[in-house]
Amino acid sequence: MAIAGKSQLSGKFRRNRMLLTAVLAVYFIYTFIPIFYVITAATKTNQDLFNTFGLWFSDDFHLWQNLSELFTIQDGIFLRWLGNTFYYATVSALGAAIFATLAGYAFAKYDFTGKKFLFALVLGAVMIPQTALVIPIFLLLSEVGLLNTAWAVILPSLVFPPGVFLMRAYVDEAISNEIIDAGRMDGAGEFHIFSRLAFRMLMPGFTTVLILAFVANWNNYFLPLVVLNSPEYFPVTVGLANWYATAVGGTGGVLLYTVVMTGALVSILPVIVAFLIMQRFWQGGLGAGGVKA
Amino acid sequence: MAVITLKDVKKSFGAMSIIANVNLTIQDREFVIFVGPSGSGKSTLLRLVAGLEDTTSGQILIDGEDVTNLGPAERQLSMVFQSYALYPTKTVRQNMSFGLEVARLPKAEITRRVDRVAAILKLEDYMDRKPVALSGGQRQRVAIGRAIVREPVAFLFDEPLSNLDAALRVEMRIEIAKLHQRLGATMIYVTHDQVEAMTLADKIVVLDKGDIQQIGTPIELYEHPANLFVAQFIGSPKMNVLVARADGATITFKSGGRLALSAATPTNVAKLGVRPEDISLVREEQGHLVGTVEVVERLGSDTFAYVAVDQLDAVTVRIVGNVAGITAGQKVGLSLDLNRLHLFADDGKTISTTI
Repeated sequence: MAIAGKSQLSGKFRRNRMLLTAVLAVYFIYTFIPIFYVITAATKTNQDLFNTFGLWFSDDFHLWQNLSELFTIQDGIFLRWLGNTFYYATVSALGAAIFATLAGYAFAKYDFTGKKFLFALVLGAVMIPQTALVIPIFLLLSEVGLLNTAWAVILPSLVFPPGVFLMRAYVDEAISNEIIDAGRMDGAGEFHIFSRLAFRMLMPGFTTVLILAFVANWNNYFLPLVVLNSPEYFPVTVGLANWYATAVGGTGGVLLYTVVMTGALVSILPVIVAFLIMQRFWQGGLGAGGVKA
Repeated sequence: MAVITLKDVKKSFGAMSIIANVNLTIQDREFVIFVGPSGSGKSTLLRLVAGLEDTTSGQILIDGEDVTNLGPAERQLSMVFQSYALYPTKTVRQNMSFGLEVARLPKAEITRRVDRVAAILKLEDYMDRKPVALSGGQRQRVAIGRAIVREPVAFLFDEPLSNLDAALRVEMRIEIAKLHQRLGATMIYVTHDQVEAMTLADKIVVLDKGDIQQIGTPIELYEHPANLFVAQFIGSPKMNVLVARADGATITFKSGGRLALSAATPTNVAKLGVRPEDISLVREEQGHLVGTVEVVERLGSDTFAYVAVDQLDAVTVRIVGNVAGITAGQKVGLSLDLNRLHLFADDGKTISTTI
């Protein structure tokens, strides 16, 4: 669409557009090269992996064999890891998104003592990398005897400060005080208003936080690495890293780089699928405030 | 139905006082309008009655029962909001039945009530639509319908028409008046629009800065405003207010013009008010004041002349009908109806006289 004063034919507009396209192209290449490397590597034999050009396929298409090996090696433990990751990420993301929505709603719509201080804490927590918290979390979990259980990964992941921050802003935008007042006049209690009236209106924001939390948990490596030690509880990230270490060490000689690469490829597919499915909710969210209720 | 009484009601946020000290009784079936400029506290007062805000002190009684500490729903009031506040994810039917479902009424009863109200408000064709798919007027009717189905003891309206365009506003105003006659319910209505207040109200409560300025019927307020604020707020175009001094039975304007009254007035007169329709245009030498016509507005039914008078603000004159022969730049005399003058003291209070 042409903007008045900046016609599509103007030199400035075209220069800006070309510059923007160039920057995006560089960014695309930068992000896509590693993914492409994983894709090609997963289709090669271990020998070809080192003897052929890294960013293209070799003549011997070995993907099916690699996949078969991936899912059968060590009694098919990879499938178990995939299941673990899916379980940890889904439960954590759902819990984190629900808590973030509740907290965001409370911050946006209620006045209570210490609100500013608490929100400052949330903001502060956004700045702290999770890595820094892993050791204290380890000590806490050890204290309550939850180490090496699923809870050790899920409980800490239910706290998702960026989600609280996002949901507060979203609630502010999406829900007018008058709608809440209307619910009160209709006799609904505060939780009833939240669950029956507000929550549906917050779906786009909720989904956004859900995806972000899901991806963060799917990719989580350091926390499970520290708090889990039985391979049957490992998520894919930790399991693959273990395999990789074995492959590098050359011990046993059973594990091949290509299996690790194929595992990496398989492990990113669900995230891509989740993004594609959730996308429509996401886009719905951006336009939701446009219609006055 | 409902008699609503406010006793010494005060509301403040921190150190800021929003409602000073309100004492007010709203009779059963009365249509009462809170009117005032923005920030006058009229909406806050309504929210206090609704139970959406807590009073800082004082009591609110409905039919003699103290409801000060009861929640909004327990007061059995319904409210219509300025933005309609319909639930966007629910259909019209679901919007109207939500409150009844919360109250756990039997399904058949809910359907009966919703259908009946939908028929009254002519909403039958839209029952399965979401609010997004409705026009402004339809949304407003749904909001009113949602209030009616609950069969409340009284209705509260918070500037319900201010989001509508001018034509629709007049239409809905008449709808609300009819609704009041039909339901015979107590209604409290907040508006900043004095025309709405004049046309709808049995009783108007004029508020300014959290304080009640005057309570009365529309005509009482128009004819006998208690102070300068009410005098200027009620009536369109506004009452003309001219700086003047009184000396016995003579009033002298700042411009030098004089009025001879039939009786002596108190000496503390600071301002003289006269409504646009109580002034007539006469020949220069016959008027109490002399000025120059600046602008003439012809509305067909009325003609408004804005006359600049030396050292005074422009004086608005209303003449019924479309009068020919008045043009901008013309020198005219202004003749004031001496039986319909309003005198105000320095503090703005009306000075009661028997002029």
